[in-house]
Amino acid sequence: MLSFIGRSIVQKMITLFFVSVISFLIIHLAPGEPSQVDPLNPKFTPEIVERFRKEFHLDKPLYVQYLFFYRGLLSGRTVSWKDNQPVLAKMWERFLNSLPLFIVGTIITWTLSFPIGIRSAIFRGGIFDRSATFFSYFLISIPGFFFAYILIIFVVTRFQVPVIGMQTFGLSDASTVRILMDRVWHLLLPSMLGATGGIAILSRYVRSQMLEVEGQDYVRTAKAKGLSWEQVHYKHALRNALLPFVTMFGLILPGLIGGSVIIESIFSWPGMGRMAYEAILARDYPIILTVNFISAVLVLLGTFISDVLYLVVDPRIRL
Amino acid sequence: MKLTTRRILILVPLFVTLFLVQSYFWVPGYEQQATGNPERLGEYISASIGDASILNPILSSDSASSAVESMVFEGLIDRDENLNFRGRLAISWKIYEEAFFYINKEADIPGLGKAGPEEMLRYLLGVKERQIPIDERIRPSIDNIMEITVIPPEDFIVSRPEEGPAGKDVRLLVRAPARIKLTLERVDQDVFTGLTLLLGQDYFYSFPSKAFVGIRDEEESSKLTEESKNKILARYAEQILPATEHNPVISFQLRPGVTFHDGQNFDAEDVKFTYDAIMNPRNLSPRIADYEPVKHVEVIDPLTVRIVYKRLYSPAIGTWSIPIIPEHLLNDEALRGEATQRGMDPDRFTMRHSLFNRRPVGCGPFIFREWKSDQYIALDRFEGYWEGPPNYRRYFYRIVPDLLTQEMEFYAGTVDTYHVQPHQVTRLSSNPNYQSFSGLSFGYTYIGYNMRRPPFDDRRVRLALGMAVDVEKIMRYVLYGQGERITGPFVKQTDFYNHDVRPLPYDPERALRLLSEAGWQRNKRGWLEKEGKRLQFTLITNSGNDTRKAVVAIVQDAWRQIGIDVRTDLIEWSVFVQERVNKADFDALVLGWQMGIEPDLYQIWHSSQSHPHQLNFVGFRNEQADDMIIRIRQEYDHRRQVEDCHRFHELIAREQPYTFLYVGKWTAVLDKRIVIKDVDEQGRVTYNKIAPTKTGNFTFYFNKWIKLREAPSFAAEG
Repeated sequence: MLSFIGRSIVQKMITLFFVSVISFLIIHLAPGEPSQVDPLNPKFTPEIVERFRKEFHLDKPLYVQYLFFYRGLLSGRTVSWKDNQPVLAKMWERFLNSLPLFIVGTIITWTLSFPIGIRSAIFRGGIFDRSATFFSYFLISIPGFFFAYILIIFVVTRFQVPVIGMQTFGLSDASTVRILMDRVWHLLLPSMLGATGGIAILSRYVRSQMLEVEGQDYVRTAKAKGLSWEQVHYKHALRNALLPFVTMFGLILPGLIGGSVIIESIFSWPGMGRMAYEAILARDYPIILTVNFISAVLVLLGTFISDVLYLVVDPRIRL
Repeated sequence: MKLTTRRILILVPLFVTLFLVQSYFWVPGYEQQATGNPERLGEYISASIGDASILNPILSSDSASSAVESMVFEGLIDRDENLNFRGRLAISWKIYEEAFFYINKEADIPGLGKAGPEEMLRYLLGVKERQIPIDERIRPSIDNIMEITVIPPEDFIVSRPEEGPAGKDVRLLVRAPARIKLTLERVDQDVFTGLTLLLGQDYFYSFPSKAFVGIRDEEESSKLTEESKNKILARYAEQILPATEHNPVISFQLRPGVTFHDGQNFDAEDVKFTYDAIMNPRNLSPRIADYEPVKHVEVIDPLTVRIVYKRLYSPAIGTWSIPIIPEHLLNDEALRGEATQRGMDPDRFTMRHSLFNRRPVGCGPFIFREWKSDQYIALDRFEGYWEGPPNYRRYFYRIVPDLLTQEMEFYAGTVDTYHVQPHQVTRLSSNPNYQSFSGLSFGYTYIGYNMRRPPFDDRRVRLALGMAVDVEKIMRYVLYGQGERITGPFVKQTDFYNHDVRPLPYDPERALRLLSEAGWQRNKRGWLEKEGKRLQFTLITNSGNDTRKAVVAIVQDAWRQIGIDVRTDLIEWSVFVQERVNKADFDALVLGWQMGIEPDLYQIWHSSQSHPHQLNFVGFRNEQADDMIIRIRQEYDHRRQVEDCHRFHELIAREQPYTFLYVGKWTAVLDKRIVIKDVDEQGRVTYNKIAPTKTGNFTFYFNKWIKLREAPSFAAEG
């Protein structure tokens, strides 16, 4: 076990190094300049453009820029080109904003998907299964932004309450409970939107995994033993169907930082995804690279955790 | 009840959802926020797609930042309803000129012979006092001279780098001869042209700058070869000792008793500081190009500041609308203090790092209060504003990145204004709950032709291509009628725009005739051909702009119908700029320009600007146009500048380097309960309907706006 962890960490460090090099190269080789430099603005003389490039070290060879950037990142001194704010502080603020959305969305997705998927699998072809399938595909195929618009228009015109942003705009002198509840309300739509999409996909996986397991001999044995319905499906069958989900669970970790660009933009949610997206448009390299690096770390961490979980869940697996 | 796995899996999400849903009962409705809340009437809320980046007017270059800055800061001047300059932090200003020329002892002056400084002075004074008869054509130019003085000869040392990247600095000894200084009442770009009639054609031209400049150090000069010495002198002599020099001067009289939001007085030092901060290379100000022609800024007294320019540059006055930043908060001492306090290296700490940029202090009508990144920026009114505080108590700049949600917030009343999309104009502008405003934007869309390449080097071809496109149709179907034709490179609302220039007619027949004059005939299959070669090229634009994409498709179709084999391509913006526009690697493109009011066209139309990475990427070269551009740039008299612009406009319309397509129209809707509130000296309050200025600007009187409980009806409205 210990040797596995040691080996794994060394491997992941090497991967991380390559990820950092490649992502750095991709971003720097992609065309475009930081938005501070606008070549089609008559006020920008070539000397100013040159001075900006120099300030951002863009005139140096790539490997020097690479060293500059990662030295800055690891010492916590990197600042965004857009507003000269420290990148890590900015990201932390956004991360805290995105976190509630992520938590609520994940809880709902990773609970509700199972009963739905399992029921669909047990009563395969029945009314429930067919309607679940229909709704799943419906929700998967409907574009998220469209669904969000419909929901917003419906709620705003029907209930006359604000849904945009993290809290009601202009709500300042209210009691703490009210402010808290107001924040909870603003969580509702975006997190539900995230969750419905998640459920639609995950319940499909659950269904197909369960279908595979339900046909196994030990399930028939369990049924024949006279075990309760609950015991058969939720204990014996589900446990064996869970294995692939362990991997998937490890991989939701990067979602922490990715956020959802579309939902955050539509709901004016000041989250991670929106910040990263705007940074890409503005070629704010420090932000893009930091987000990239941290999500790489989280992906590697996620795979590491799922590897370990595998060991724990399935004693047959030896790494 | 036993808690089984199944029950947990169902109950947990159920409870979470229920908890989320119950919060509905705690949320204040729109009703409460928008109408039921009396506070709300004193607040103005605008919405923007993007957040501000840096709230420091000399460092920012994005529109969101400048929108907020215009509320917090104030400039020396701005433009009034008719786009004329009006004083803000300056009460008045005077523009005059100091012109200089060196005495050219060798030159032979008609009727005077060779003259030294004293003779020249006597002669010119004689001319001015009308004791010496002169050509009447130069009389106005002479009358414009207020004062003539002699500057005695002077020796000084300057250092200039040698040629080449490894060039060392060479010290040059300059023995400048006496110089005549003319103080002119108004700036006159033709003063020396006038004087040549008096002093002889060659007087200025033959001034031997090189004779007065030498290389200083003995050892240095021995090391340099004769050839490189001459090179250095040839290169710098004229630059150091130009025969003639124009130094326009702007002298501002500042408004007394103005304070910054922190109570400090505003004075001339702040103006000088703002200039110095822009020019400080450490600050990387994107505005530096505007102030490069400034020679120096002098503080005469706390309320007078004098700005001397190196050369004639008429857009200069407009640059002083730059918001003034407070010296006491941003000078070296303050920055060092902040760096030490925040534990940063004071030597590397610049204005760009200062927290001032996140909580600015200016002397504008609103005080900065709070900035929540990507959520909102809140401002409070400044009670001590010199023009009297605004009516609104509070100003919010909300960041709502999605247009549809912006619209929903506007309907709900939590945003006061909404910029209407072209397709919504008919619906929203007739809505009785809103007042709507519309006007022409300051930008135009055009088709640019690469005039370095055939067949675009032929004026007839460019003309024909323009005539083959039905612009009215584009405006009707692509812009939903929200556009107007434009014929030249000036803002349509300004005097500079020449309304006598007619747009190209839509006339495919005539286009074909013009093309056949240029040698292009239709072949059997209908394609235009010349010497067996088909008329074939590619029209490109950037992707991500649906309007331009539609324009490209319509233009392609129109040109194909007269037999031109046009291909099209959509290219991602940065590739488009770097690979195509900057390298002038294109046939024809659809693009737009955003214009300022100043009619300075140097970068876009002067032939010196047609190299790679410059903005005259269509390669327009026309000597006459070059002269006009320089004249417009150097002309300080509005009337004459307008005349020059009109002629330039005609020339551009004749040459058709672009096919000018249209200028877009914007429409904004505003809650009808927002009105202008005036209080006269007796304290009587009158409410008036918000009326846009001549140029369509409806926010011009923003400081007098207020929201009423109910929409008023105005007698004038009928």
